Amino acid sequence: MSRSLRCIVADDEEAPRRQLIAALRSAWPELQVVAEAANGVDAWDAFLEHEPDLCFLDIRMPGLSGLDVARRIGTRAAVVFATAYDEHALAAFDAGAIDYLLKPVDAPRLARAIERLRARLAHGAPAPDLAALVATLNAGLRRPPPLSVLQASVGREVRLIRCDDVVYFESDSRYTRVVHEGGDALIRTPLKELLAQLDEHVFWQVHRSVIVNHRCIAAAVRVDEGQMHLTLRGRPETLPVSRPFQGLFKGQ
Amino acid sequence: MTTEVRRGIDWGQFWCPGRRDPFTADEMARAGSDPPSPTLIAVTCLNVALVAFVVLQAAPAAQTARLAAALAALVAGCAWAARWLWWRPWRRPLTIASIGMGFGLLVVLLGASARIRDRTEAYAVVFTLALCGVVAIVLLTLLVLWRAQQIEGRLREQAERAKAIEMARRLASAQVEPHFLFNTLASVQHWVQTRDARAAPMLEALTGYLRATLPLFDRPLLPAADELRAVERYLQVMQARLGAERLQWRVEVEKDASRAQLPPGLLLTLVENAVTHGIEPQLRGGSVVVRGARRGDDVVFEVDDNGPGPGAEASDGTGLANVRQRLALHAGERATLRVARGPAGGCTAEIRLPWTGAGEST
Repeated sequence: MSRSLRCIVADDEEAPRRQLIAALRSAWPELQVVAEAANGVDAWDAFLEHEPDLCFLDIRMPGLSGLDVARRIGTRAAVVFATAYDEHALAAFDAGAIDYLLKPVDAPRLARAIERLRARLAHGAPAPDLAALVATLNAGLRRPPPLSVLQASVGREVRLIRCDDVVYFESDSRYTRVVHEGGDALIRTPLKELLAQLDEHVFWQVHRSVIVNHRCIAAAVRVDEGQMHLTLRGRPETLPVSRPFQGLFKGQ
Repeated sequence: MTTEVRRGIDWGQFWCPGRRDPFTADEMARAGSDPPSPTLIAVTCLNVALVAFVVLQAAPAAQTARLAAALAALVAGCAWAARWLWWRPWRRPLTIASIGMGFGLLVVLLGASARIRDRTEAYAVVFTLALCGVVAIVLLTLLVLWRAQQIEGRLREQAERAKAIEMARRLASAQVEPHFLFNTLASVQHWVQTRDARAAPMLEALTGYLRATLPLFDRPLLPAADELRAVERYLQVMQARLGAERLQWRVEVEKDASRAQLPPGLLLTLVENAVTHGIEPQLRGGSVVVRGARRGDDVVFEVDDNGPGPGAEASDGTGLANVRQRLALHAGERATLRVARGPAGGCTAEIRLPWTGAGEST
């Protein structure tokens, strides 16, 4: 192997996260922990930034749940859920042949899990069956309805922007630029947090720092092997599509 | 237990009265093991004597002795049947007893009316005895119906009590959620392994929480102060786990309110809900405030969080449904649970119940 395996670890509680990282370091020294995340939003962002081989995700996290993140990751990385005792989750894990770790993590169990994971990674990980898991566990998760209006401070006024009018969001250092039919504005919510609040059927993330209203997309243009960009209806600018999202546009 | 309420007339009861299904031996032992009360026996005897006296007064003087003997036989038979039915108050024995009484009546009638020369007197005797016999059978029927209802009522009461106990037990075991416990232990384990100073206070708070929750449900009522201690330990544990930025909390309960007697587990459930649904899903965390005050004849407790607020479809989870049921068991209509969007967003859960003046808090 040319490069070592890389992973991210996400848990909203600091101590279990640190514990898992410490346990991984001693039980699997060649695995490199490239990022740790304290919520689902950061976990997804870290995945896009590092594109690791392996993600350890807690199920209950604020922003995006571990399931949401796993669903977004799809088959692009192997996912291992970390959970404290939860009957429903365990049943679903076993039914879907999904890797999981029980918190608090103990050495023998971790060693067994690592054994299984290595075997699976060596054969090329098959896509885990997340459907049953999502159906079982989402029933227990209460989530607020998607955002419908944005509030952008412009000077001394607060402008209300309907999400339906937004063409795209672009991350701009600590702010998010909102480009909508009536102009553009800056809001303080970081893009990665906004992502968790938007209706994902309408707003598609196409890049780590771009979310676009899919109704405004005119075409996806492949520039060369690794590059793709979007053209928009009635607008001159183009938006980049990064590699993890190019699968969204593959023609029918 | 049949809970359906039948409206309209059940004609089956007309021909063949009584409860269709026999009570089982176990049901009789649990709810029908009492003998007829002395009062019931005395009152019945007195009434029978009175009726007999009136009947004998009205009868032709020449037949008084004959009629008295026949009535005595009838009463004896009826008393024996009543005693027999007392232990089997359902349809089949009642039918058997009624038929038996009918035959007995026939025999008595034939015996009593034999060799009476005066036709009018014979009619009077036959008519009187027949009337008394029919009344006796009707009384037996009423006895059986009443007795069956008595036993059914007791069984229902027992079932309800058993349900309440079962619910309390389930609540008690559900209270210390494995998910909570193992997550907490995961933190403790890490802090012990790394010799983090947070381990000791965390273990102390967890121990306090367990000590307060596990025997919490042994008593039907306990002073709010006791439950608030469990609530504070729980919040300490959660704050240690989530960090002080993600969870702030305070408990502002007036002294008077903390002496109120409450069904155990209510406040704890509301606070756990606030943390699970109000604080944990929020990226920036939030705060939980527990308030309690006495308002006239009521005492009101309120748990506020500044989370996303209750969903529009506002359906109770098992926790809230349990709280509602326990409140209803405790004080019926007068105890209420209200879950609503708080004045400053977030969720407010309020329980209001009649002030049941307290002993000293321990």
